[in-house]
Amino acid sequence: MKTNRILLGLAALTLAACHRTPITKSRSCCAKENAATTATKFMPEAAGGSVYQLTGSWTDQHDRLLTLSKLQGHPQVVAMIFTHCLSVCPRIVEEMKAIRDSLPASVKEKVGGVLVSFDPERDTPAQMRMFAMKRQLDDHWELLQGSDNQVRELSMVLNVRYQKLSGGNFTHSSDIFILDQNGNIIQSLDGLGRNIHRADSILNRMATKD
Amino acid sequence: MFIVCALVPRNHQDHLPSGRGVINSGSCLAGMIKVPGGSYHPFLHRKGQPAVVKVYPFYLDVNAVTNEDFLAFVRANPVWARSRAPRLFADAGYLKQWAGDFEIGDDKIKNSPVINVSWFAANAYARWKGKRLPALSEWEYAAAAPPVGMNRGPQLTRIILGWYDRPNPTVLPQVQSTYKNIYGLYDMHGLVWEWVEDFNGVIIQGENRGISNFSCAAGSLNSINKKDYASFMRFAFREGLQARYTVRSLGFRCAKDCEREMLL
Repeated sequence: MKTNRILLGLAALTLAACHRTPITKSRSCCAKENAATTATKFMPEAAGGSVYQLTGSWTDQHDRLLTLSKLQGHPQVVAMIFTHCLSVCPRIVEEMKAIRDSLPASVKEKVGGVLVSFDPERDTPAQMRMFAMKRQLDDHWELLQGSDNQVRELSMVLNVRYQKLSGGNFTHSSDIFILDQNGNIIQSLDGLGRNIHRADSILNRMATKD
Repeated sequence: MFIVCALVPRNHQDHLPSGRGVINSGSCLAGMIKVPGGSYHPFLHRKGQPAVVKVYPFYLDVNAVTNEDFLAFVRANPVWARSRAPRLFADAGYLKQWAGDFEIGDDKIKNSPVINVSWFAANAYARWKGKRLPALSEWEYAAAAPPVGMNRGPQLTRIILGWYDRPNPTVLPQVQSTYKNIYGLYDMHGLVWEWVEDFNGVIIQGENRGISNFSCAAGSLNSINKKDYASFMRFAFREGLQARYTVRSLGFRCAKDCEREMLL
């Protein structure tokens, strides 16, 4: 099942983050190639490393200022959305919740969820707080508002494509990203649930690391 | 009458490496021209979206940013030197035409457009200057203006397509070596392609992300103007870019909002 694979992937990430258990998957000669060719759009080496190199301050749903590097230390499930989106974004968020919910409690505890808004104008901390309540997103979630330029830059780093439409809504790609504890993009998944088997490469990735 | 720039940044914080200790570098509107507002017919038309987009008046650099201009930026922001720029923000080809971190080398290209710069580097330069990159609609609108003495129409398209057809010159000519358009902007076509702030709003078709993977709101693509082959080329080119890419034929120029200066 797709969720099982993600589960294993996140479990692997979390374990790696804690340096408790070595990943024991065999170092198949093909694993790396598979990861590179079939699944991951951005391998950390290729993409230049941690997303947390972006250093600006964001405001979260509790009105707290934070830099992305505050997310360091735990794997994160990340997507860019806007709360007025009625069609795609709710599905992306549900998919992200499903990913976290599929993890054993002890692992889930260590995996964060991050939603960054395309729409800083309307997605104020108060609006994000309401959205979090409505979608039942607990304290493991950060809902971030930044400046237009910050949002554009993050989209560039993640290779998310978006455009503001007249009327104030956005058209955007629907990826979900799995970041490791250092902010490297380990995997990008289709937020609408197709191709989610690609999460396999998380395992490949972790197995061929070190 | 004096024109004074209000030092109000558009966004509350710069946060790329260049954002640390940003120095506002002098006269705001030197080398810029006010492009009058008007309307832009998007090459890609989306369902439920107006076929014509309003472009508000804005300032645009007369010339593309040159190697010499960019060297001043790198000197002031050494983190953007060729050997130091984080790979997340610029790929390995960054400024490869230069002789070194703080050295252009070939004098012939001092006054030629800077190329092999990533979107991040261009964006950081623009913000260091107290400016920004032009929006795609602004750039396309400004670039659609015909050369001085020429009417709007197929003539400009022929010039553009003629340039797209020619191979890159070994030594990139200096700025102002092609034509000046009716707004007073030089080389909008003919020297380099140019980054725009929101190039990643473009979607035609990609290997991994076709139109089907690009949805939301009134997102679906309705029509493209198939006759506008020159625009198609630019849109296809932008579609293939990522912000960290550096390209031999890709430079930039900066823009600025109009409401930022006050008439005293």
